[in-house]
Amino acid sequence: MNAATGSGAPATSPAILSPRTPGVRLKVEQASYAYAATDRSAPKFTLGPTSFEANQREMVAILGPNASGKSTLLTLLAGMARPLSGRIEVDGVEVSMLDLRTRAQRIALVQQESELLFPLRVWEYVLQGRYPYGKRLRFESEEDCLLAGNALAQVGADALRDRWMDQLSGGEKQRVILARALAQQPSLLLLDEPTQHLDIGGKVELLRRLRRLADDSRYTVLVVTHELNLAAEFSDRIVLLHKGKCLRVGTPAEVYDRALLEEVFEAPLDVEMRESGRPRVILGGNH
Amino acid sequence: MIPTWRGRFAAALLSALISSAALVVARDRVQSATQTSGPAYGVPRPLPLEVTDEVGRRVKLPREVKRIVTLAPNLTETIYALGLQDRLVADTNFCDTPPAAKWKAHVGDPQNPNLEAIVALQPDLVLATTSINRVETADALKQLGIAVYTTDPQTVRGMLDSVQHMASTIGEENRGAELVGRLQQRLDALRAQLSDRPMVHVLFVVWDQPLITIGQNTFIADALRFAGAESVVLSKQQWPHLSIEEVVRLQPNYLVFTSDHGPVATTLADLRARPVWRDLDAVETGHVVNVSEEAIRPSPGLVDAIEQLAHEVHSEAFAEKRENRNAKFATRVTPMTLGRAGQECNQCAR
Amino acid sequence: MRPLTPRRVAWICAGLGVVLFAAAVISLRMGAYPISVVDIVKTLFSGAVGHWEGIPSEYRSIVFNIRLPRILLGILVGASLSTAGAGFQALLRNPLADPYVLGVSSGAALGAIISLIVAPHTPGAIQLAAFAGAAATTAAVYFLGRRGGQLDSATLLLAGIVAASFLSAIIMFLMTTLSGRDLRGMAFWLMGDLGSTLPTNPLPWFEGLFAVFVLAAGAIYATSSDLNLILTGEQEARHLGVNVHRVKLVVYIAASVLTGLAVSVSGTIGYVGLLVPHVMRMMFGTDYRLLIPTSAIGGAILVVLADTLARSVVSPTELPVGAMTALAGAPVFIYLMRRRVR
Repeated sequence: MNAATGSGAPATSPAILSPRTPGVRLKVEQASYAYAATDRSAPKFTLGPTSFEANQREMVAILGPNASGKSTLLTLLAGMARPLSGRIEVDGVEVSMLDLRTRAQRIALVQQESELLFPLRVWEYVLQGRYPYGKRLRFESEEDCLLAGNALAQVGADALRDRWMDQLSGGEKQRVILARALAQQPSLLLLDEPTQHLDIGGKVELLRRLRRLADDSRYTVLVVTHELNLAAEFSDRIVLLHKGKCLRVGTPAEVYDRALLEEVFEAPLDVEMRESGRPRVILGGNH
Repeated sequence: MIPTWRGRFAAALLSALISSAALVVARDRVQSATQTSGPAYGVPRPLPLEVTDEVGRRVKLPREVKRIVTLAPNLTETIYALGLQDRLVADTNFCDTPPAAKWKAHVGDPQNPNLEAIVALQPDLVLATTSINRVETADALKQLGIAVYTTDPQTVRGMLDSVQHMASTIGEENRGAELVGRLQQRLDALRAQLSDRPMVHVLFVVWDQPLITIGQNTFIADALRFAGAESVVLSKQQWPHLSIEEVVRLQPNYLVFTSDHGPVATTLADLRARPVWRDLDAVETGHVVNVSEEAIRPSPGLVDAIEQLAHEVHSEAFAEKRENRNAKFATRVTPMTLGRAGQECNQCAR
Repeated sequence: MRPLTPRRVAWICAGLGVVLFAAAVISLRMGAYPISVVDIVKTLFSGAVGHWEGIPSEYRSIVFNIRLPRILLGILVGASLSTAGAGFQALLRNPLADPYVLGVSSGAALGAIISLIVAPHTPGAIQLAAFAGAAATTAAVYFLGRRGGQLDSATLLLAGIVAASFLSAIIMFLMTTLSGRDLRGMAFWLMGDLGSTLPTNPLPWFEGLFAVFVLAAGAIYATSSDLNLILTGEQEARHLGVNVHRVKLVVYIAASVLTGLAVSVSGTIGYVGLLVPHVMRMMFGTDYRLLIPTSAIGGAILVVLADTLARSVVSPTELPVGAMTALAGAPVFIYLMRRRVR
């Protein structure tokens, strides 16, 4: 370990942050789910049997309009609910069987942040990502500080370290939340509609960063989104959901079929193929 | 700083042992210091007596009671009536009857007297009463090893008994018997004079807005009966609330207001100006009487008040004029006058 | 990046401990009966070694039976209330929460008033009954405050407010219909009173109370890392590995025990549980690993000082402690609020 005081320079060796063993990182096998608020009402959150896989260094986009089952799938992936049928495995271990702390060491979820009650500094917030390691009542070690600092550097938020959380802009806050997730040293990074409140520049920057994280630091990144073009541009695989059913899994080129997209998103659409091999979706027909 | 881990551990263990030992020793000392058995001060008194007070608490008395502290105005008044005021070292802020009582040292108010002040006075006996003092005060004083005698007068007869008990506790049974005898004589004489008279129906007004009166089992109701008056309200509660309509229905012969160095309802003119009140028979005939607050305490002065009230409401039965009445203390009972609002109660000489 | 270390916690607590010690010394000195500091020290010393010559017996009585118990009780009550307050603020996700908002104090008051009616002269009855009332209310509000089998902050708050008002109404009903001498003590109880009667052998009683305090406060402290995370969001905390359900239950029970403890020995002393955690936050930050111990010591300091003021400002009359805690605490709070840069 180098003698860095935890401030400033990012880690020279990605090995400190790189998550675990290579191989199939995430395996979803016929996972389905149904949740009804009461016994007599119709199930509210449903997901038909869904299967797909993801390796390290891959970015998968879970795509679909509202109420298509994306959040349900994310809940299952995060281990917060047990699938009704099928399995979800991370690093070969079934996710819902893990205890809370071990799960937090493997899977990190990035959501829109709840409102903070009391003022908190950025570095304090990011340090909280180290919670899954160590005892319940814990005081952070030097290693924790180092890792948190590295996480901040990886998202390019080093300069924000001493700022107050409630003084950050939307994009800055997004990066800090991501840094806390990275501080967990997860195998799997889940993001729930991360581009919602960002402008186009912010969206692109975020997805680029995620792509870099996947490529350089060997994370497996899963993004739930309804942004068709960004998903096509940056992800290796797309899982297309519609009304609780998984319609198709494959590369963007494979999934973006015009008829299919029109049916799912209920809008006149056209699909163009670009030189990079990635499709682009534009408004089609008379509008 | 000790360099090695073993050294640090040894140091920690040693200091833990030493502090535990010190803690154990200190604990024992403090325990014996806080335990109280017997009086908290001075040389142990010879042969203490033990009596049971009026609430059932056992009280250990010294042979000689030279220093007394009273915690209620009626008790102070009783001490003065017994002629034992020289032994009274302190009373409360509220003790104002007789006026000389105001110049005694005070230990605070009856509800929350200052325990330190009481302890510092080293009293032989503290007098308390259930009508105004808290149970906690008496308990605390007992814990401190101070003799506390609590009276519990529920009736006029009970008040006389209390006076006797207090006198005995102080060691002056004879004075007590003499005072009680005189008071009882006056009450008997009064009863004789009123024997053939019907009871006058009164409404005793503790507070007029909201209208609060007394229950039938209260001390005041009993006192009224001695004066030949009966409260029109029969209630098991102590301070029942009443609506003025009920009073109209009951139509008492007399209204008796309590005052606090000044009338509650200012004057008869004010009453006659108030709707509903002005239609009451008692208001129309001017049968309204003020009774000063001190008059209705369970103390010897109560007998004065009873007599004066009887003279007011049964004036036909008494030949002598009002001016010739020989009151030991200032007049307690005055008819409500028509006079100007805010007029100071000129009968409440202070 | 300077994370909190156990050493820093220890230093800050030691500093506050010194302030508490000073407050206790001042409190020992003040009282209706003048005893000089020298004499107090001599009396304490005599108590420690067991020789009583040369010490007037009223000194012994006043120092060991009146002042010292009040100070110890004040420390206990102040520490309990502020720790509970800090816990409830995290549990309910509400900076305005205080230990009484969930109705625990009303339940204790009801227990107290019932014991005053049923067994007015039994020593210790009022404390036991008050604690029983507090425990029953805690359980009732827990069952009312659940949603989907788990404690939900908003539902809990509502349940607590409803319970508090309901119990207060019953208390008012009892006090008016059964008005009389027995219930006079209630007024003092409701205003807060550190002069409660001690049992004949007070030391084991104090030890028992302090043991309960240490257990309950310790349970809350053990969750302080968890609470830090929960304060950034319950969902987020869950995803970071916090067992949110269990933490909330532990904090709820422990904070209610602390509140019940404080209220049953001294009635309802207000503002301590609300003000002290905020003041400590402003001074030392929002990290619960530091906030819990500093709140405890800070609360003890506040109550000891307030009680000292209450019994010496217009001696021999004693003012209610609750009024003093507000008077003493509020200006400090305002000062700190204005000093904040942000």
